[in-house]
Amino acid sequence: MKPLLWRSLLRHLIRHPWQLVLSVLGIALGVAVVLAVDLANASARRGFALSMEQVTGRATHRIVGGPQGVPEAFYTRLRVDLGWREAAPVVTGYAALADQPGQLVQVLGVDAFAEAPFRSHLDGVSTAGGTLTALLTEPDAALLPSNVGQPATLQAGDRRLTLRAVGQLDAAILAGLIITDIGTAQALFGKQGWLSHIDLLIPPGATGAQAINDLEKWLPPDLKLEPAAARNQATADLSAAFSLNLTAMSLLALLVGMFLIYNTMTFAVVQRRALLGRLRALGVSRREIFTVVLSEALLLGLAGTLLGGLLGLWLGSTLVHLVTRTINDLYYVVSVRDFSIAPLSLIKGAGLGLLATLAAAWLPALEAADAPPAATLSRAYLESRWRAALPRLNLAGLTLLGLSGLLFKLSYGLAAGFLGLFLMLLACALLTPSAVILLVRLNQQLTAWSGPLARMATRDVARHLSRTGVAVAALMIAFSATVGVGVMVDSFRSGVSLWINDLVNADIYIAPLAQESGASGASLRPDVLVELRATPGIAALSLYRRVEVTLNGKPVQLLALELAPAARAGYHLLAGQPRAAWQAFETGTAVIVSEPLAYRHQLRVGDAITLNTASGPRAFPIAGIFLDYGSEHGRILLNRRAYERDWRDATVGSVAVYAAPDEAVAVLRQRLETGIGRLQPLVMRSNRSIQEYTLAIFDRTFTITSVLRLLAIAVAFVGVLSALMALQLERAREFAVLRATGMTAGEIGRLVSLQTGFMGFAAGLLAIPVGLLLAAVLIFVINRRAFGWTLPFQVDPWIIIQAPALAVLAALLAGLYPIWRMTRSNPAQALRSE
Amino acid sequence: MLSLPPLIQMRNVRKRYQEGDVSRTIFEAFDLTIQRREIVALLGRSGSGKSTLLNLVSGIDLPDAGQIWIAGQAITSLSERERTRFRRRHIGFVFQFFNLIPTLTVEENVLLPLELNNLAGPARQHQVSALLTQVGLGDRRASFPEQLSGGEQQRLAIVRALVHEPLLLLADEPTGNLDNETGARVLEILLNLPRQAGTTVLLVTHSREIAAQADRVLLLEAGRVREIAP
Repeated sequence: MKPLLWRSLLRHLIRHPWQLVLSVLGIALGVAVVLAVDLANASARRGFALSMEQVTGRATHRIVGGPQGVPEAFYTRLRVDLGWREAAPVVTGYAALADQPGQLVQVLGVDAFAEAPFRSHLDGVSTAGGTLTALLTEPDAALLPSNVGQPATLQAGDRRLTLRAVGQLDAAILAGLIITDIGTAQALFGKQGWLSHIDLLIPPGATGAQAINDLEKWLPPDLKLEPAAARNQATADLSAAFSLNLTAMSLLALLVGMFLIYNTMTFAVVQRRALLGRLRALGVSRREIFTVVLSEALLLGLAGTLLGGLLGLWLGSTLVHLVTRTINDLYYVVSVRDFSIAPLSLIKGAGLGLLATLAAAWLPALEAADAPPAATLSRAYLESRWRAALPRLNLAGLTLLGLSGLLFKLSYGLAAGFLGLFLMLLACALLTPSAVILLVRLNQQLTAWSGPLARMATRDVARHLSRTGVAVAALMIAFSATVGVGVMVDSFRSGVSLWINDLVNADIYIAPLAQESGASGASLRPDVLVELRATPGIAALSLYRRVEVTLNGKPVQLLALELAPAARAGYHLLAGQPRAAWQAFETGTAVIVSEPLAYRHQLRVGDAITLNTASGPRAFPIAGIFLDYGSEHGRILLNRRAYERDWRDATVGSVAVYAAPDEAVAVLRQRLETGIGRLQPLVMRSNRSIQEYTLAIFDRTFTITSVLRLLAIAVAFVGVLSALMALQLERAREFAVLRATGMTAGEIGRLVSLQTGFMGFAAGLLAIPVGLLLAAVLIFVINRRAFGWTLPFQVDPWIIIQAPALAVLAALLAGLYPIWRMTRSNPAQALRSE
Repeated sequence: MLSLPPLIQMRNVRKRYQEGDVSRTIFEAFDLTIQRREIVALLGRSGSGKSTLLNLVSGIDLPDAGQIWIAGQAITSLSERERTRFRRRHIGFVFQFFNLIPTLTVEENVLLPLELNNLAGPARQHQVSALLTQVGLGDRRASFPEQLSGGEQQRLAIVRALVHEPLLLLADEPTGNLDNETGARVLEILLNLPRQAGTTVLLVTHSREIAAQADRVLLLEAGRVREIAP
């Protein structure tokens, strides 16, 4: 360790505090975004895991059934006929607290006598004279968590039940869980005669394997035995792609931060080039300079990481609500009560921040070490070296571009897609200096008629390419990220809007009110359907039943449909002959699957999928593949008659009503509300309100993306300020010479503004094609591989204009401080410096 | 009496620079010998290759062909790292534009070569103080280079170049950036201090008057060197 060597380099940084602060801020913002997303994801995962643990307990396996569950009578047979002792029936679901709108609780209905081997957390019950058995003997009794008032009124669909506490669940892990008798839970969820599942305790080893074998042979075809954790994991996996994409977005913000670090460190090296050359002439070795420069960067990285950690904690506590809201909207119920600060997330965030700094500072440190002593005094040599390196940079950039293209073409995984994306961005950064030269030449021709200031400003950009080229490249990357993500989200929204407008083409949609509270299995009463068919003014009806089935171990939605002729137009077939496909569909011998499902399971028209029905496994050929954004995990369309036949379920979940041509929809709706509204609590929606609701969900989902995009813009803005301000501040002597030769302070101010404005404009302009390329990759590669759907590519002109406008604005702002400093300085003083 | 080998020996050295499509020859079959403790002035017009010669002798640059020995060490056979270490220990440099470290104080600039050679310590601290006082900078130890005049900066550069007792001092137009009076004072220090320490000096200049104060004057012309009268 050579203290004077360190001091000679570090003091330079300390003498440029603005650069120091802005570069630390750049790192901090990048780390904050990554950490916040990771913490939010981790909190949501932990919330889900905790709630699943509450239900699963020590159960090793469970018996599950179809959409309605397991018949209660089967449990009796299991215990009596098969003599299976370690089994416990469970009815579980989510209900809303009537006095706390939006607050969901998980209700666990248990058999008190069978419960003990499965869930020991009930040991944490504090009872005021009551026992677990009180659940059996007292009506509407429940064990309530300490954070729920008593009595607790729960709402599940159109059913409301007030529960009295016979004990309190004290353990913090049980917050949000209500335990009650099975009968009470069945009444609450309308599942009389049915169970959600049956928990089993099966020993490990050969004995257990034999027991599983015997049980599976004994089970009726509509019931299945599965490991207890399997379904939880499968459910958790539903949101995996969403979490991964969030993480990738946050890494994009970090990548932008890395480019800014690279820019800052490169600039710091270039600024100290003469100093480095002098040190080399004195005998400081390359390794020593490399070590010191890299260590400097690490110090900055450490400061930025610490600051980013604090920012990330704050940001994460905000993001967690957005993340869990999206998961609730799209995937499954999760309730996050505490924002958990996972140590692993903190370590990951810190590690990434430091690694990113190291990676970004590596090349500048190498360049610093390579500063040849012989060239110390020759600025022209430095710039000529840069110019000479341009062909190599271009070659490297084109090579990386080719590599990324190959990755997109030949690979299939999401990780490879992201790797290709990052390589592509790197390639564009390498090609930027040459693009800057071209823009300068073009601008020189365009400004040939203008005065010397404009020509000087842009000519200087080309003359100082070692600095300006790097700065423009870094800024271009930052703004291209905002363009790319903006175009992707906009395209996605446009696709969803077109899809929902086509799909939801009936006049009125009717569903049980219970479905509003998440009771997706709720159905329309038979008399409602009878009355509906008899109602005048209706041209046609579509009937829907939505259930969850398992395909290759993964949960998938099955839609049992009886479609009105007009409804078919809402399902755009991407594969399969429409006429043949719908004919096969109508016969009930084939299914039509959604594009995401076909993509995930590598299915094509003609392939067959096997589904577990009440009659046992049955193969259904695929007659067509339709465009669908309703579920990233896929949906299966099956004719209702075939569903009734194979699943023995004639219920209808919802209905779409097509009004007769001369019928006023409002009048028809009134007629329906009077006619069928008295038979069952129903919700009736117009197609327009469903379309608006769908887009509202979409917008909510992408709120997080918008937040991350804003943060990326903030990082870019900070980067512009940092890079361009530093560039201008180091030209103090040059400005002094210009003033000494007769240029006024005002003219120099205009020169600075023109130059920074040109550089900002160049960065923003180059960000447009790169951003569009990025958008194309996000749409056609990343989204496709993550979710399996096809998106349109649509460009909103406002997003395109935003990038150069923001870049120029930031650039002009960056020039203000150097102009102010220059106008206050004494030219003679500046000329005295070496 | 044993005579020591020459300090600097250059044999058959060739050096060319590529400037676009044109190749410019600086030296072709160049030979040079400088004895120990000599003060040699290298005279030549602008562009004659004086700075190139200094870069070759110091190991900063390598010739395209030929051999260079410094104190018996063939520096053309050394790796870049070894040449750097050799330069660090055995060579001192004085530049026309001073090339001080702007972020170190006067005292720190002088201590830097000692630290690089692991020679720093309390005894050396005294030596540094004495040297600075000797050149009239004793009371400017805490100042930064930008706070010194041109003459003061060059005196500081000379002290920095000699503090680690190098075998060889290379001076590239040391008074080129100074007025006549200041230059004369600096030159006096530049020539006396090494004489006291027994350091060989190779001084590059375009001034006949300055060259005349050396022990030997070599004229660099058309890529070759010949001795002329001081």
